[in-house]
Amino acid sequence: MTHWFAIIMGAALFTLMIPVIYRIWVGPTSFDRILGVNVIGTKTAVLLVVIGTLFDRVEMFVDFAISYALLNFVGAIVISRYLNRTISLKDMEAREKEGARKR
Amino acid sequence: MMSWLTSFQCLASAPTETVGTEGGFLVLQVIGVLLGVMGLLFFLGAAVGLLRFPDFYTRMHAAGKGDTLSTMLMLAGFGLVTMEDLSLGSWLLLIKIMAVVLFVYLTSPTSSHALMRAAFEDDELPLTEDDLRNSKRGKRRKKR
Amino acid sequence: MKWISLIPVFSVGALLLFAAKDFPEWGDPHSPASQSPVSSHFINNTGVDTEVPNMVTAVLADYRGFDTMFETVVVFIAGIAVLAILKGSGRRPRGRHRSYKLEAEPDLIVTYTVRLVVPVIQLFAFYVLAHGHVSPGGGFQGGVVMGASFILIALAWDLDHALVRMSLPRCMVIAAVGIIIYAGIGFLSMFMGGEFLDYAELERLLPVSREMARYYAILGVEIGVGFTVASIMFALYANLSSEGRLKGGL
Repeated sequence: MTHWFAIIMGAALFTLMIPVIYRIWVGPTSFDRILGVNVIGTKTAVLLVVIGTLFDRVEMFVDFAISYALLNFVGAIVISRYLNRTISLKDMEAREKEGARKR
Repeated sequence: MMSWLTSFQCLASAPTETVGTEGGFLVLQVIGVLLGVMGLLFFLGAAVGLLRFPDFYTRMHAAGKGDTLSTMLMLAGFGLVTMEDLSLGSWLLLIKIMAVVLFVYLTSPTSSHALMRAAFEDDELPLTEDDLRNSKRGKRRKKR
Repeated sequence: MKWISLIPVFSVGALLLFAAKDFPEWGDPHSPASQSPVSSHFINNTGVDTEVPNMVTAVLADYRGFDTMFETVVVFIAGIAVLAILKGSGRRPRGRHRSYKLEAEPDLIVTYTVRLVVPVIQLFAFYVLAHGHVSPGGGFQGGVVMGASFILIALAWDLDHALVRMSLPRCMVIAAVGIIIYAGIGFLSMFMGGEFLDYAELERLLPVSREMARYYAILGVEIGVGFTVASIMFALYANLSSEGRLKGGL
């Protein structure tokens, strides 16, 4: 029963990831894409526990799930920070141009 | 490809355990399956929201909330389902899975917040009522 | 033009899937990898030679200890190379130099979460490092998780905030100490009468059997690898994100 539950759960998770992948594909802004990647990363941690249940080694796969969730968090913070920085650089360039015009 | 399939079948028909012989664990398993199905339901909500909502902030709302809650529910369900006895090992397993839940509970909203802030400082404007009205009217005009 | 690039992607993917049907079955005893004499030797003798339950750790740190030592040295050399190339390269004023001082304040919510999460991550890193004997893990993985915690600090506040805790000279000293621990254990076992990295000879120093001496020596070796990997991870991040300036950064 546990195995069937895990198999059905994994298949359903995988099916429900398809709309998210669609959002990554067409996402009008880059933030939409990152959001989709973040959602899939969180769900991958769940999928790792599912695979662990299938292989009867949950205690091993839970460690992978923790480190995957950790790397997902670091990735999201990195990307938001990077976009923040490039945006403020853009601001600064615009300000520099304005300053040059005033002069 | 065949080898993969056969290994998959092995997994599927792997030991049908003797769970359920004792009443208490059957109850735990049923609760776990219910939690898992609820988690799938919330993830369905998140996926549909991510697909259908019109602007970035509403999509982020759907994804952030549904994603965190469904992860918590599904992992808690798996923690209960894989619990077969009350030995030290299975308690440890439950605590480990709950640690993943706690970690996701802390970090997922935070990363949503960081993304939202980055988007807001990129002048990504939320959809207002006026925009919606205009676009609807425009769509209808196009259809006509 | 963008769509044309899908053709090679799909053809390569189809080829890979086509090749996947020739894979041996999962856990097949007749696959070529299982039939080589080396693997059967490891499978038969790991439990006898060492007390380590995880065969991969025993092979990595004991049977192939020499290899792993120079892998660690490669990581160290990579760090030094990046340092040597980037150090001072950003300070030369080339044309109009853009000041990288940004107004982006450290976010309150992110800093609070990071403050909560970083101790947990570091504890998890130690767990991964020390639990490598039983489950997947070990020095490299634990070091990466440890380095990620420092990178998280640098991301949530700024680079200066993390460099106060882990300055670049300290990083390089810790990285060198990691390699010295590894090579020192090897030399120690050589002075005890064995060969280089033959941990079983350490039984004369430790009050344990030969097998348990290998167990503890593998743990020490993993700690050395963890030191090097963690500090080089952070040094690479600090140098690459700020172009060797060690100021501002991501």
